[in-house]
Amino acid sequence: MHIDPAVLERTIAIIGGIIVAIVSAKALKDDWNTPGLDNQVFKLMLGLLFIGAIVAALAGANVLGNFPKAA
Amino acid sequence: MAVASLPHGSSAGHDGVDQLYADTRALRLQGMLLFLVSDCILFSSFIFAYLYMRNSGQGWPPAGISRLDVAFASVNSVVLFGSGATMHYALENWKHNNFGRYALFMLATIVLGIGFLSGQAYEYTNLIFKEHVTWAGSGIFGASFFTLTGMHGFHVSVGVLYLIILFLQSVHGVYTKDKYFGLTAGTLYWHFVDVIWVVLFSIFYLI
Repeated sequence: MHIDPAVLERTIAIIGGIIVAIVSAKALKDDWNTPGLDNQVFKLMLGLLFIGAIVAALAGANVLGNFPKAA
Repeated sequence: MAVASLPHGSSAGHDGVDQLYADTRALRLQGMLLFLVSDCILFSSFIFAYLYMRNSGQGWPPAGISRLDVAFASVNSVVLFGSGATMHYALENWKHNNFGRYALFMLATIVLGIGFLSGQAYEYTNLIFKEHVTWAGSGIFGASFFTLTGMHGFHVSVGVLYLIILFLQSVHGVYTKDKYFGLTAGTLYWHFVDVIWVVLFSIFYLI
């Protein structure tokens, strides 16, 4: 059975992106009430990591970065 | 999985070294954050230069250059973002005195970091030898792409070396349950390179 590499890559990106988004959201939730400057920065970084994972999953799903082929 | 406990140094007492650590931790954290802010300014300068040049040209990408491979870059991005999550849990397990899981997550972070660099090397190889896009010979596109992603790749390479050194230090008992600022700094740095990639991935592949 032949699988198109692009389809495989997109599938991995979608599944991986969703997993990383869930994990980072859980980490953010667990750390939400932790005090200290370093933990505030970690929370900001985890939030941005969550957004990045969602963006990567959407790009894998062809929702973002879906451009028509050049003529 | 066997769970070992962390090495414990002289953290229980209030000797001179511990007091020094407590007194200087906030300063070290501020120093690390200032370093990251300065790095952020460095990347911002290049990103704004790229966006300015991109918007002052006629169409993007320039004629003769095809769009970058979004599917492969998405996978590579997920690998890097995944390493951010594993790094976070490495530090959390260190804080909770769980050396076995710390080591597992730390090694996973290093492997994923190397995986990202390998993916970037593969992408560079494809661009240079198949698409004939080079740093000097493809105008603004090649120059800005290779400069920004190369600078980021350099940061990831330094980060991987940094994490390897941190891991070896933690194995040799340099850090304890109470004194682990090096690991905190390493986690901050690794999250930083993740977050920079969110921006680079968006501006080079998605817009």
